[in-house]
Amino acid sequence: MPYHDDLLAQAGHLAQLDRTRPKQVNLRRAISAAYYAMFHLLIASAVNNWRIERQRADLSRAFEHKKMKGVCNNLVSRNADLAMVAETFVVLQQNRHRADYDNARVWTRVEVRDHIRSVKDAFAAWGRVRSQPQAQDFLLSLFVPERR
Amino acid sequence: MLMPVAVTQQETIEEEVRALEEELKPDVVRIRYDIGQDWTGDWSIFFRILLSDRASGRRLGRVARNVREVIKQRIRPKELGLIPYCSFRSESEQSELKDPAWM
Repeated sequence: MPYHDDLLAQAGHLAQLDRTRPKQVNLRRAISAAYYAMFHLLIASAVNNWRIERQRADLSRAFEHKKMKGVCNNLVSRNADLAMVAETFVVLQQNRHRADYDNARVWTRVEVRDHIRSVKDAFAAWGRVRSQPQAQDFLLSLFVPERR
Repeated sequence: MLMPVAVTQQETIEEEVRALEEELKPDVVRIRYDIGQDWTGDWSIFFRILLSDRASGRRLGRVARNVREVIKQRIRPKELGLIPYCSFRSESEQSELKDPAWM
């Protein structure tokens, strides 16, 4: 199973643990795993276009969280699937940041289930749109510097 | 620091949110929100949406999708220079946590 699918499965697993009283550590890690599932889905989709396979791991290091968020936030697309992928990325990144760094923030299972479900929807949307030219242009924009 | 258009539209936003709250009952119990910056410094509107326990169960996905869509169409956060972030909790969770930000 690809790494991003494993991460999404892990997020779902963590969110279901501790049936009666969920532990914050599991909910936080679930949010983080759900975000990284999206992050690696997009990176894998981009670098898999690179013909020389041994260089793909190095290329994947060119992706930066903040840059990707900016591209997703500024995306203007009439394609509902692509817009949904971009919006979900932005939302999950913000939540991942809070889950990993804001210890005062309390998470609940409903919040976490909702975010994981959003990522699942985004995965499905990406499956529908990924081969279209605008999705491929979007992937390129995620790591190529903007023209000035 | 540049301020978003939303700063001058707070009364309108408040009215629209209260109207949405009424429209989305009984699934939505109440909506609270704050305007501030997210981790990268972008101006954002953070919605805290309290759902009924029934809406937080198997229907959560459908309900949350609908609420997000309605917020996007009615509040139009992007046009106000804001990124919308929505968090959902159930009434049961809130009654246990008693989080003042969600009251």
